[in-house]
Amino acid sequence: MFFTNKTEQLFVWLFFPLALLLPLFLEQNVFYVNKLTTVLIFAIFVMSLDYLVGRCGMITLGHSMFYGLGGYLFFMIAPEYEAVNFWVYTFYICVLAAAIALVVGVIVLRTSGIYMIMITLAIAQMCFYFFSDSIRFGGNDGLFILVKPDTSLFGLAFFDLDDPIHFYYFCLLSLFNCMAFWKLVLASRFGRIMDAVKNNPDRTTALGYNVFLFRLISYVMASALASYAGYLFALQYGYVNPSMMSWQTSGSALVMSILGGMGSIYGAILGTAVYEGLRYIFEHMTEHWLLPMGLMIIAMVMAFKSGIAGFIENLVERRK
Amino acid sequence: MDFAIFLVQLLNGVQYGLLLFLIASGLTLVFGVMGILNLAHGSMYMVGAYLAWYFTQHTDSFLLGALLSAAVALALGVVIEKTLICRLYKRNHLDQVLLTIGMIFVFNALQSLLWGNDSLGVDVPELLSGSIRLTELVEYPVYRLFVAVLCLVLAATLYLVINRTRLGMLIRAGESNREMVECLGVDINRLYTIVFGAGVMLAALAGVISAPIASIVPGMGEHVLITCFVVVVIGGMGSIKGAFVAALMVGIVDTFASVLFPGVSSMVVYILMAVILLIKPQGLFSN
Repeated sequence: MFFTNKTEQLFVWLFFPLALLLPLFLEQNVFYVNKLTTVLIFAIFVMSLDYLVGRCGMITLGHSMFYGLGGYLFFMIAPEYEAVNFWVYTFYICVLAAAIALVVGVIVLRTSGIYMIMITLAIAQMCFYFFSDSIRFGGNDGLFILVKPDTSLFGLAFFDLDDPIHFYYFCLLSLFNCMAFWKLVLASRFGRIMDAVKNNPDRTTALGYNVFLFRLISYVMASALASYAGYLFALQYGYVNPSMMSWQTSGSALVMSILGGMGSIYGAILGTAVYEGLRYIFEHMTEHWLLPMGLMIIAMVMAFKSGIAGFIENLVERRK
Repeated sequence: MDFAIFLVQLLNGVQYGLLLFLIASGLTLVFGVMGILNLAHGSMYMVGAYLAWYFTQHTDSFLLGALLSAAVALALGVVIEKTLICRLYKRNHLDQVLLTIGMIFVFNALQSLLWGNDSLGVDVPELLSGSIRLTELVEYPVYRLFVAVLCLVLAATLYLVINRTRLGMLIRAGESNREMVECLGVDINRLYTIVFGAGVMLAALAGVISAPIASIVPGMGEHVLITCFVVVVIGGMGSIKGAFVAALMVGIVDTFASVLFPGVSSMVVYILMAVILLIKPQGLFSN
């Protein structure tokens, strides 16, 4: 039930054990552990976008708004000089983000297709300007988390946020949980109806389902998880800034999701890893890393239609 | 607010709005006729401004520089349409978004590679560098008036071309029924190339004429692109008339907001958009 096809099964069995072992080899090198943690966190964000765009057919270019909000919400609700409980605040942030997504969703989901792309982008930009202009939230420079949350649960401390290896494993677990969550959603009755909504909203309406409601619930879920990823990112570096909300963040997440094969969920991990890997290589080659990256994106759109995952799936299917 | 200052701000707003219209008209035309969402449209504005700087430096004449920039932009538009965009007509919006994001990356990289990341400026041409006295204390630069008039002339030309010529008739026909136009024996691909090239040229022209009054900086394209999205969404996708009304509206609202509420000015146009969408989800003049 968990796997939709062979390629996915292969990927999960390869990726997660590998990711579990990786820090053992990198123990001396905190830089790479941090880099990989960022990739895991971003994969959570890309996965929520992948569900929204690939499985619900709602193309948004404003998803970064929730990623950034995950970080900023922490500053809005947490006291500045006091360690708060990590789990409680994770819950608060997800709930608040969901509430915001509910309001934004009601406006955004009145439209679809190309309109939705532009409106989500515009609303995210509005948020971006709000935070980059506001003095209370540090403007363009952003804010620093002075006291990191305390991670004890029922009096037991499971892990230390300041230890990169601990945090790496926590993010890996979060990523796995998110993936399991989306797979469960997709396998459920709700997921089946969402497929129907994506394929033919009119017929789904005719069958008696409230299409708007299904879309709204999906939007709220994806936004809450995007905020969770943003919250993790803020905790990793102890810092938020408005560029988390910029349209470039949404754009690159979309590219990653497509790289991995839109709508495949696991492809989000693949796409994020490949994109960040390439970016790392290009950045070391030239300061104008956008040039090879842009050319690669263009070539990718022209060459294959369903990303790397689609490409691999084709290969696997052909060998049967 | 003093009347003279009000007048100056109103003129600024109208001039900014007209400039926005030049860019947004290309965006909305390309979408209306070809069904393509071109996120790299803002990059064309940036390219126009940088080209104007480059050619003005080398020819010592703003007019010559402007003409050369427009010609290069037109050629660029035609090449992009012929090599990249033409393969995307049958693909979905997502592929278009992806391709045009890739194009933004490439243009931004080329800009920093060719022209560096410093802020550049172009001098206002000497002929237009004076000011007009509005009241005893307030003056208004001639160049800004010139920009407004030029944009109006271009808007009128666009209106006449679309409503009074054979080409315009085909464009309107393409907007309402693509297959039918093809069935009637019109070479739709040539029409697409013309529309895309013209859209790119209009955006670049906007960049060229705003070069002397705005600083030429990296990232200028993205900022303008998103404002144009607001314009197109308010006006209704694909509607030139809507783009014109919305551009003026956004221009004036944005200018006054930055005077009246300096702290939150950059948010005001988005709030305007959200309010209009709540009332009319398809924009003011949607087809």
